[in-house]
Amino acid sequence: MSSSWSRALTQISPYTFASIGIAISIGVSVLGAAWGIYITGSSLIGAAIKAPRITSKNLISVIFCEAVAIYGVIVAIILQTKLESVPASKIFDPESLRAGYAIFGSGIIVGFANLVCGLCVGIIGSSCALSDAQNSTLFVKILVIEIFGSALGLFGVIVGIIMSSQATWPAKS
Amino acid sequence: MSNVIKKFFIASMVMWIAPVAVLYGFNNHLFPGTSQLSSSSKTLLSGFLAVISVNLVIVLYIIMAMKEPTNREHQPDPAFLAQAKSSINQPASVTTSDNAQTHKKTE
Repeated sequence: MSSSWSRALTQISPYTFASIGIAISIGVSVLGAAWGIYITGSSLIGAAIKAPRITSKNLISVIFCEAVAIYGVIVAIILQTKLESVPASKIFDPESLRAGYAIFGSGIIVGFANLVCGLCVGIIGSSCALSDAQNSTLFVKILVIEIFGSALGLFGVIVGIIMSSQATWPAKS
Repeated sequence: MSNVIKKFFIASMVMWIAPVAVLYGFNNHLFPGTSQLSSSSKTLLSGFLAVISVNLVIVLYIIMAMKEPTNREHQPDPAFLAQAKSSINQPASVTTSDNAQTHKKTE
């Protein structure tokens, strides 16, 4: 058994990759959502001192950020239903490795897409609150930009779900 | 203000519960006709329905929030306003006569 990097990489259990993928999908998504919410929330509370009427409409930005966290939870639940036990003889089969890598990839896709989406929506939401406090006709126009921003997270979730749907482990026979 | 918080809280709760309920229903065969789907199409269908349910809640919340009437600024009592306006115009004559008398006294 010669030792080499390629051997080391292929001898890592696919369950490692799958579990790390699930962790990244929920962990990094929540990171993005929290980042967005605190950016938006602090601007919103500050701007509402002089213009208290903005709070009811600008909570929409916070809802968009929270949706990003929920996408991460949805994909994490889906991915963990895809984890199946295989007998020890089959754990390094190509089919098995493929399933582990697919779950890993799906988790990374969703996690990082939601990270930047949450950040984007957070910064837009903060400017939205500040400009709505000055001039309430601007709100709907900035909301359109925010909808485009939240579509980024949606793209990541769609690709992540499609990728994880074909993660099949070798049959137990 | 508390009405705003209540709506936001309810929307957040539904946004969490709806997709988790959809996924739970698909995985535990609560919905009719989900037993004979293959594993990959079950994943696809449950995933997309969950994401659609989240977006539906977001759209409903946006509609609810846009429909709220903007809070009008505090309107002063109209009777008080009318009295204040009349008091500006009326006693100009009264105050000038008083001033004339005080002038006489100081001289």
